Amino acid sequence: MKRNRYLIALLAVLAMIVAACGDDGGASDTTDGASDTTAASGDDVVVGISWNNYAQPRWAKADGPAIIEAVEAAGGTVIEKDANDSAEQQLADVDALIAEGADVLIILAKDAEAILPAVQRAKDAGVPVIGYDRLISDPEAFYITFNNQGVGTIMAEVITEAVPAGNYAIVKGHSADPNADFLREGMVELVDGNADINIVCEDYNDNWDTNNARNMMDACLAANDNEIDAVISENDSMATGVVAALDAVGLAGTVPVTGQDGDLPALNRVALGTQLVSVWKDAFGLGKTAGEVAIQLAQGVALEDVKAPDDLQEHVFPEAGVDAQTFDADGVEVWSIILKPTPITQDNLNLVIDLGWEPQDAVCDGVAPGSVEACG
Amino acid sequence: MTRLTNAPPSQAEVEEAAPRRGFLQALEIDLRVFGMVVALAIILIGFGFLTDGRFLRPVNMVNLAVQSVSVAIIATGMTMVIVAREIDLSVGSIVGVVGMTYAVLMARVLPDFLGFDHPLLWIVALAVGLALGAAIGAVQGFVVAYIGVPSFVVTLGGLLIFRGATWLVTRGVTISPVDPAFRMLGGGPQGSIGGTASWIVGGLACIGIAWLLASARRQRRRFGFPLRPMWAEALVGTFSSLAVLGLVWLFNSYKWPPGLAERYAAETGNPIPPDGLPAGIPWPVIVLIAVTLIMTFVATRRRYGRYVFAIGGNPEASQLAGINTRWTVMKTFILIGLLCAVSAAVATARLDGATLDLGEGYELYVIAASVIGGTSFSGGIGTIPGAVLGALVMSSLAYGLSFMGFSSPIQDIFAGVVLIIAVAFDTINRRRKA
Repeated sequence: MKRNRYLIALLAVLAMIVAACGDDGGASDTTDGASDTTAASGDDVVVGISWNNYAQPRWAKADGPAIIEAVEAAGGTVIEKDANDSAEQQLADVDALIAEGADVLIILAKDAEAILPAVQRAKDAGVPVIGYDRLISDPEAFYITFNNQGVGTIMAEVITEAVPAGNYAIVKGHSADPNADFLREGMVELVDGNADINIVCEDYNDNWDTNNARNMMDACLAANDNEIDAVISENDSMATGVVAALDAVGLAGTVPVTGQDGDLPALNRVALGTQLVSVWKDAFGLGKTAGEVAIQLAQGVALEDVKAPDDLQEHVFPEAGVDAQTFDADGVEVWSIILKPTPITQDNLNLVIDLGWEPQDAVCDGVAPGSVEACG
Repeated sequence: MTRLTNAPPSQAEVEEAAPRRGFLQALEIDLRVFGMVVALAIILIGFGFLTDGRFLRPVNMVNLAVQSVSVAIIATGMTMVIVAREIDLSVGSIVGVVGMTYAVLMARVLPDFLGFDHPLLWIVALAVGLALGAAIGAVQGFVVAYIGVPSFVVTLGGLLIFRGATWLVTRGVTISPVDPAFRMLGGGPQGSIGGTASWIVGGLACIGIAWLLASARRQRRRFGFPLRPMWAEALVGTFSSLAVLGLVWLFNSYKWPPGLAERYAAETGNPIPPDGLPAGIPWPVIVLIAVTLIMTFVATRRRYGRYVFAIGGNPEASQLAGINTRWTVMKTFILIGLLCAVSAAVATARLDGATLDLGEGYELYVIAASVIGGTSFSGGIGTIPGAVLGALVMSSLAYGLSFMGFSSPIQDIFAGVVLIIAVAFDTINRRRKA
């Protein structure tokens, strides 16, 4: 059953109301381009951040503080605006940030295309733009993100190393979300290309739904007499359903399961041994990179000469090195730094704890003392 | 409906009053519900054929029964709502917010007061959740019944409000795991009542059936209603009892998976029987049976239930007849809110945690189950067992297709086709009768 038609209608009405407000904001803003185009050193750089939706816990927990720390370490200051998940509001926010004197913009875009008018205004004002975590389809916007296509490959690497042969179940995400297929494509070589691996169940899950994942896994186990050797789940919330299904037949902890996002329950399962790996994107590393790149751009460094911080930790260090690389996004070539996602297993669980992503007592809840190194 | 004379007619009069009837009429089976059972059997046997009988193994029957529980519980309430000519689109969001409340209470709030693994933990959480469900239902019901805002609008708003509230409770973070005792509500071998207890439940059910038949016969004789022929009573009683015992046998033929059974045996010190440890009836199925019995009783034997059907049949006439229609409608929404909370408990227990998307899309499945089960959108018509069977039909289809390896879009298409066919059948049937 798909999304509700009436919900869409209602959202359309809301969008129109918001659009009306957004237009007002844009019209009243006549103070564009008041800022300096370049700053001589990092000392007086003002970095403007436009968040798409700061209410999501991740940004306030990791990305925001990491950017601020990197910028302030270089002597700069940060001003922020949050668009509350509205593309229109975000246009107004960018205008306001430029007006308030931002020398460089870090934008977590609601939409790769809808943000373009704002990017144009920033370019007109001589303010460089960084597309943070989400692409901005403009060759002059610098792109900082993780190797998302690589997440599927990392999952496949970790799980095929643990289970080199046997029956695999693959729990994919929402069929209309291209990410579900990107992730799956990343696994093809290692999983489908391995003659010893037999994919016995594979399906999409509407809305990445936990309950669907549980239902699918129940049927998969029954259809194969519980002879499942490994489960590749494309994210952590579906892994919750998968592990619940395995637990019901006594296989939780025996059958390895993958996931991604570094959700607390998933990290707890990694500690408990019921989930093999959660592929985690270290948002602290991403924020630090964005902060330092912002300073470079504000100082007038050309896009192609931008370098990632060379003191980035090994687990996020770009596979292509510190130099900016070109990234082809559907025909638009942008300069980019692509960080490495990190597979979190029992062996490196201390990473998420040490960096302050999740507290140790929560990650290690219920773990027998001495059984997992990170839990003590 | 009520008979005005008090003098009970003589036995001879009663027997004489009963007209000669056909076989099926003599049995007095609800043909709609009977038809649903047949349709369900056809689906199950059909999948059995397509999978060389593998589909009919106990594990699959147990799985699909458990999978239907969350939707079926709410469908019993939705039947009452639709019968009263209202609708509730907010059920999925209520499940979401109550489920998240259970998880947060058990994982974060209550342990501070009671400590982890406290036996009262899940009971307190459950009580708070049920109260929350009922309170949400009461507010929505009040706005519908007393302020007069159409239920479609109120509950559409509720759908958005409570989904948003679910997000606010934890800012979208998944909460897992839940209390181990609470997890029993989710089923699985550890969440089942065991072999012996299942036979006891089955035995009690058979006694209950016999008692119900006997007391119904006594009542009819008392008020001079036509009696069912003795052979029909015996046939109905025997078949119902056999069906109950057959189901118990089915649940008991699902054995604990060997690894799990060994662990259990090691923990409890009980030996495993040579042919495996029977799991018995899963707790969620027990909950569903209890809900179905109570709701059927409420719908058919209580004044409130009769009022709901009266309102659905003709709201103006019911009001003129002195029924407090507003309070009755409000009660219906309280009831479905409560049932959403029960359903949320089962869903949260089954997933061993609460996610932001818990219950998403339930409104559509629940309404579909109710409608497949014979509830009419024009109000006044619907049965509780029909709604439960409707949910079973839908989950059988989804589970069967998933078992055979069909992808979720195909499952959606089948669910949609079955929904339309079921209602088409109903419509044709009613038109012919009219």
